[in-house]
Amino acid sequence: MSATNRLLQSHRPGEGPLRVLAASGQLGYGIAEAAFRRGMARRPHVIGCDMGSIDPGPYYLGAGVMAAPEAMVERDLELVLSAACDAAIPLIIGSAGTAGAGPHLDATVAIVRRIAERLGLRLRLATVRSDIGPAEVASALAANRLEPIGAIALPDDQAIASCSHIVGQCGTETLARALALDPDVVIAGRACDTAIFATLPVMLGYPIALSLHMAKIIECTSLCCQPGGRDAMLAELTPEYFTLESMNPDAHATPSSVAAHAMYEQADPMQVDEPGGTLLLYDARYEALDSHRTRVSGARFRVRDKPSLKIEGACAVGARVVMLAGVADPGLLRVLPSAIAAVEQRVRALVAGDWLLVSHIYGQGAVRPLPPEQVATHEAGLVLEFIAPQVDVARTAAAVFKQNLLHHAYPGRLTTGGNLAFAFTPSEIDAHQAYRFVLYHVMHDAPLERLFQVDAMMLGGVAAH
Amino acid sequence: MTASCIAVPDGRRLADMAHVIRSKNAGPTQLTIDIFLIDAAAYAVAAASAALSCAAIAQRYGVAEQQVQRHLLADICAIKFVLPRAVLAGSPGDGDVYGAQQHAPFLDIRP
Repeated sequence: MSATNRLLQSHRPGEGPLRVLAASGQLGYGIAEAAFRRGMARRPHVIGCDMGSIDPGPYYLGAGVMAAPEAMVERDLELVLSAACDAAIPLIIGSAGTAGAGPHLDATVAIVRRIAERLGLRLRLATVRSDIGPAEVASALAANRLEPIGAIALPDDQAIASCSHIVGQCGTETLARALALDPDVVIAGRACDTAIFATLPVMLGYPIALSLHMAKIIECTSLCCQPGGRDAMLAELTPEYFTLESMNPDAHATPSSVAAHAMYEQADPMQVDEPGGTLLLYDARYEALDSHRTRVSGARFRVRDKPSLKIEGACAVGARVVMLAGVADPGLLRVLPSAIAAVEQRVRALVAGDWLLVSHIYGQGAVRPLPPEQVATHEAGLVLEFIAPQVDVARTAAAVFKQNLLHHAYPGRLTTGGNLAFAFTPSEIDAHQAYRFVLYHVMHDAPLERLFQVDAMMLGGVAAH
Repeated sequence: MTASCIAVPDGRRLADMAHVIRSKNAGPTQLTIDIFLIDAAAYAVAAASAALSCAAIAQRYGVAEQQVQRHLLADICAIKFVLPRAVLAGSPGDGDVYGAQQHAPFLDIRP
């Protein structure tokens, strides 16, 4: 028997709380060890880690690579894996490898396998593959089952086919299928943050609303505290409420810090959509248990007739080369956008090909539009992106542009030595492939069982049973 | 509580009335801006202010009024705005992939 079945057979709701330890909201950036150890000393029943997000942008999903450095991912995974094995409790990891597509899942499993072999751990692993086939998306589109989330266009079949990876955010019903395979460790591809922490409680019979609300708050570990941080967070769940406690004694879960966190990164602070329904927080109650802990109750859950699935897809736009430089001449700074436009015209005549220039003028509104009186006239930073189907074209455009801007004769120029300050050379840098999101949609009436493939295997020991 | 009994002096900047003013993506298509006021008095001023209406915020961010959602959360003295992103997060032309630096236009609002 593995860790999951031991828990499912030994724990009864109402006979003492279920202790859920959230070890990481972003595995791979260095789990704070002291707080995690304090959490383990509280004898949790399960450890959960979120490993991904859509926030870092379309590159990681599109390219199939992790955002976190592999050495730190391995360090964090070793910490939680060895602790879970020592305590013989389940470890659940969601949104493997940042974006949770096949390459991210496989890379994460490979690291776990390496650790298990190195440490001599023998464990049963279940995986959830969250990749969604383009044909499934195209048929959902044809059946009007695809709905944009916010301001994004409905794709056509060609746009769907252009995605290098498409994933769906699996929920508790899918992670329950993985946990039914009696694993010690679950690694899921793209998953709802909530599913990581709520699935086992739901399988044990805890109310789904309470389980999801708990999961929603602890998935970012101690970010819900005052002051917020990245230390492990412990939730003690009962059938009526749950109690939140940071494993950092100086980070306090207060009613207002916890309620405030429910708003974080949410368009609607009162409703959280899950595949099987909607978590409703209108009647949520947050009460201080003491200065360090808060007790939460009152969430409700509205079941959806047919499951909905959030899907994400990204496609390559081209190869990106960036040029970095500074400008300090007030004369040029007053005309910088028009100087860049004039140079672009000249370079277009010199460098053929389908290249795109995106200019970011830091100090003059690169981050957000600035009122005229705030536009810098003393110093600005230039980040020029050159994006082309072929990297050679992007490199050529960048290099030729740099030299032409360096010596561009704008009206009123006094400085004939050069218009740009380079912090280093070469000032043009290959910056990987550029991607963009094509899909950020809800697939209604989603055939979850068919879409998500669930497998189990033995790691670190002899062949699977 | 009525406006007349509120201790917040007229003309205070929102940055001086709040302990958190933050922006972040709510997915790659939307931006959400959360303002946590320092107390119920500051919240009452901010929530009632025309400078923090959907119309005023829409104008400040260059979007249509109906594209701005506002949530008033009196229990925690917070106001949340949701706006569409001008460019999808991380697409060529975006300047703020996480949407984490789009709060600045709120700092100098005088509710």
